[in-house]
Amino acid sequence: MLCKVRHRPIWLLFYFLVIFTTFTLSGCASYSDKFQSIEKELSEHDPEDALKELEKQDHSSSDELLYHLNKTMLLRMQKDFRGSNEQIELAKQFIEEYAATSVTETTASFTVNDTMRTYTATPLEQIMLNTYAAMNYLESGELDAARVEALQTDLRIRQLLESDPENVLHIDPFARYLTGMIYEDQGEWSDAMIAYRKAYQAYLAHAQIYDVSVPEYLKFDLLRMAKRNGLKNELKKLKLEFGIVSPKKTTKNGGQGEVVIFFHKSLAPVLIEQSVTQIDPGTGILIRFSLPYYQSRPSRLSHIRVMHNEQMENSQAVEHLDLIAKKNLEDALPAITARAFARAVTKYSISRNVQRQDDLVGLLFNVMTVMTEQADTRSWLTLPAEVLMARLKLPIGEQTISIELIDIGGSVTYSTELKNVVIETGKRRYYSYHWIAPTMTRH
Amino acid sequence: MSAHKGLTHKFYLLLILSMLVASCGTQVERVDVKEEHDLSGAWNDTDSQLVSEEMINDMLTRSWLNDYSNKYRRKPTVIVGTIRNLSHEHINVNTFVSDIERAMINSGRITFVASNQERGEIRSEREDQDLHAREDTRKPMGQELGADFMLQGSINTIIDMEGKTQLRYYQVDLTLISLADNRKVYLGQKKIKKLVKNSNLRL
Repeated sequence: MLCKVRHRPIWLLFYFLVIFTTFTLSGCASYSDKFQSIEKELSEHDPEDALKELEKQDHSSSDELLYHLNKTMLLRMQKDFRGSNEQIELAKQFIEEYAATSVTETTASFTVNDTMRTYTATPLEQIMLNTYAAMNYLESGELDAARVEALQTDLRIRQLLESDPENVLHIDPFARYLTGMIYEDQGEWSDAMIAYRKAYQAYLAHAQIYDVSVPEYLKFDLLRMAKRNGLKNELKKLKLEFGIVSPKKTTKNGGQGEVVIFFHKSLAPVLIEQSVTQIDPGTGILIRFSLPYYQSRPSRLSHIRVMHNEQMENSQAVEHLDLIAKKNLEDALPAITARAFARAVTKYSISRNVQRQDDLVGLLFNVMTVMTEQADTRSWLTLPAEVLMARLKLPIGEQTISIELIDIGGSVTYSTELKNVVIETGKRRYYSYHWIAPTMTRH
Repeated sequence: MSAHKGLTHKFYLLLILSMLVASCGTQVERVDVKEEHDLSGAWNDTDSQLVSEEMINDMLTRSWLNDYSNKYRRKPTVIVGTIRNLSHEHINVNTFVSDIERAMINSGRITFVASNQERGEIRSEREDQDLHAREDTRKPMGQELGADFMLQGSINTIIDMEGKTQLRYYQVDLTLISLADNRKVYLGQKKIKKLVKNSNLRL
């Protein structure tokens, strides 16, 4: 018996300690479970209290990025664009710092669980960092800084495509579309045309994967830029393609400006853990298998309607974060499943070895391996499920715009006024509204 | 027995390693401002200083300065206009503008006047003096020195990359324009290339 103990490998002891520590430190609650108190504050439209709640929580070093990501959105919801962008810069630095593959974390993810890895955001979340930074700058009127984000968006998409060239989901259509709007605001017509073209191609490519259509606004933007750049053949071709004979919305008249309102609807889907626990009848060893799946947050919101005098525009969906996130997970699931399988095999074989030496220790060890088996349910939970856009051409001067929130039944559930909107000739003003469904509790 | 000894040694080794890792907290070290430190490969204070000094030195050796001095028998008056950041990075343009201003003033070969943003505060102080300062110390309005030239510019980047390696190419353009007739009297350009290699693996 003594001889057996002496020959017990060091890694077994080490593994035991790692699992014990992990179990003690992390407890059983998954990341998305811990987030419910913040969601509750958000469902009551109180981002200030939601931020207080976020600050109260403990954030492990591996989850530090999520703290910055969520703080970014909670500050933005309070119109603190500078603070929000400070968090975005910290998040970018973090992603860059932890971009390299960690040997120890990868080993831990194959032996303990996937949450042992430092969270470095999904490709979609990384693109959204630049997109939200750009929107923050646009709303603050800092055009040059927004342009920096447009260039960084392009760079990030190039980086993502380099590692996974066939994945069209990396080319986010809204991110591309927004860069086009930024270039157009700067008077860089050629770059704007290129960005609009890329956005159009991206919407078409995404339409092959999930239910999305090209926003009507983009069609008119493309026609306007084609005309301005003197691309007669392309203009003709696009008109035919879009079925637009007279591009009435394409003129950016002198004496007129434009207001752009983004509506950030509900919240992105939440990752839920789905587990299966089986017992090996031969040895009595428990085997647990945990995988994440996305659950949409229920929302009764449909869109917004913006009005000014006789003009009325319904918002158009420009980004479907909910659907893209789900498709991304579908693509990542084979690798996640392979890791979960490898873990189950490792945990089983070690439990079996320990059990052979000591039944009681073996049982305890087995219980711990089962309890530490967790799916990685970390994600940027304060992102919206969808982004919609409404635009109005307005006369120069100070204007007031009426905004109505429409539910899925077509009824107006809330209305407000956007006052003191100063419109300048040929310029755009940007605004955002975040509306989170009041019935946000998960089922 | 030897296996037991080996296990004890490995345990101590692990303990020492854990302590070493735990001791890696925040460390602060004072460094000389003249020392070059490039941590991320992004535009930094060293780039700002080097580019501004080199470009201003170049500008002051060009023919426009002698042409002006010979014609008007005085130093030209220059104002810094907008330096636009058209790069991929959020560069603090104010720091770069300060470096340019310092290099110009310290050269002693041109007269330098306050920029558009700075003038507001000066004018407000003059207004205040008009009411509250003693007459012999009061600075009258309408005595400002008008600039002869305005310096404008931009910082651009081109980034080429493959895997974890990036080639960052910075291009700074400065243009000196005569305020009297819009003539461009000097076009300066400075380029910096940086090769940034990031590790594929970490502990």
